[in-house]
Amino acid sequence: MKTQLQFDVRNKGAMSGVLTLGSLDPVLGAAARVAGEPVVLDLRSVEFVEPAGICGLAALLEFLIPRSEEVSVALAGRDVPAYLERMNFFRLFGDRVRTNVDVAALEERQRHNPGTLQELVNFHTEEEIPGVVTRISEILENQGYRLRERVAICSTLSEICANAAEHGASEDGASDDGFGAFAAVQAYNHIVSGAKRRGEEVLVAIADGGVGVRETLSQNEKYAEHTTTDNDAIRCAMMMGVSGTGELGRGGGLALVAQISGRAGGSLSLRSGSGRVTAYHDRKNSRTVPDFPGTFVRVSLPRKLENTPQERLSK
Amino acid sequence: MAEAPAVFEVAGGDFGGKLMVTRRTGRAVREALADTLEALPKGGVLYVDTRGVELMDYSFADEALGVLVSRVAGGEYGERYLVLVEEDRDLLENIEASLRQRSLAMVRVDEVGGEPAVVGTIPDHLADTLRAIMDAGSITNADLAKKLGLNHTAMNNRATRLAKLGLIYRKIETAAPGGRQYTYERIA
Repeated sequence: MKTQLQFDVRNKGAMSGVLTLGSLDPVLGAAARVAGEPVVLDLRSVEFVEPAGICGLAALLEFLIPRSEEVSVALAGRDVPAYLERMNFFRLFGDRVRTNVDVAALEERQRHNPGTLQELVNFHTEEEIPGVVTRISEILENQGYRLRERVAICSTLSEICANAAEHGASEDGASDDGFGAFAAVQAYNHIVSGAKRRGEEVLVAIADGGVGVRETLSQNEKYAEHTTTDNDAIRCAMMMGVSGTGELGRGGGLALVAQISGRAGGSLSLRSGSGRVTAYHDRKNSRTVPDFPGTFVRVSLPRKLENTPQERLSK
Repeated sequence: MAEAPAVFEVAGGDFGGKLMVTRRTGRAVREALADTLEALPKGGVLYVDTRGVELMDYSFADEALGVLVSRVAGGEYGERYLVLVEEDRDLLENIEASLRQRSLAMVRVDEVGGEPAVVGTIPDHLADTLRAIMDAGSITNADLAKKLGLNHTAMNNRATRLAKLGLIYRKIETAAPGGRQYTYERIA
């Protein structure tokens, strides 16, 4: 018997064809029922992969590989396989999953994608974060991003990476599927999130295989009333000063990331357990999603048009 | 006062250069700052110069400065003080956020010898007292009490709290005949 996990990315309005965190939901739900049999991940309807999609896919594979005899990934077209290759996807998973794609041929025609600020990267500890941030900062500087924008992007990345390293890594460092966390960052010369409009956008995504937001917050009795559901816990975790340890000074990172993205006209989205909360500058949306271990974070940082190098040059 | 002030350049060390991120890096910087602070004579001021830093995330700011300031305020370093050397720019936001979380404050100057300002938060009545001491440079309890329209005990209590928070010097001067008088001085 073979389980077919179908990605339905077609009926999502503006996000049609995009592999994002939301379009992974049905598959994340079905993955929990896999019990040893071979699994096929059918991504043939995917036309476009965003960082949250690739990080989510990586976390999904880390979950499926130890639970399935064989995991296959079916892709269609040229763009998506080529993008996954450029994002180091096959370097990380090529020898652990089967695919219908000729990866060797993709490697030959590999070219640099100027929008890729960070390929899919797997990390386990806080120690690895400054290196990642330094590299992105250099790329951003070379591409004419202003200091303010670099600070927004880099501090967003470092804070959510630090959360993932702290909660995503198993306490004793010896958990069975402790894959740590995945991160990816991509810059677009158009707006990806929401309705089509002009502009530029940077997307930062992280996925970890840790215990999740609700369990982390449950360590702190103070938040007992806020941990009834995953959505309650996520909303609570986005507030200033809320942390699992309750130590003074902790729990500021996520609140500030929400502030940074909100101020830029973007959003912070957190998926953990069966909850998913997206924070905009003036509101938060919650919805219930299929339960899946770990925490997934997606941050959208739009650039104001007048800030782009092209616009500045034309003035 | 002729001695050169002790200045610690955060971006100058071997910690992360212009990009200061994570608690781990913050801890390393804090430990180096604490060593320098402890080596100062009693009454010494350490200027923490972050002007060379481009980016500081909240986790770093809290671990390097928030934790250190709370220890200074807790009396762990005796009468030794911290002053932040930083201009009024975005980077201050994270330091501000950390100190606010901890209900603490730091004296900040644009450059060593510059006019003092405050980062973080202290209750309004203490902020007024601190402002008055900073404006005066050095002032006795009696004069300050008069200036702010308070009785001597209340004035002394407020200034004692500010001294404990590491925001001013508080000196006892034995005034003849047989009296003791406190003088408050700004630390930067």
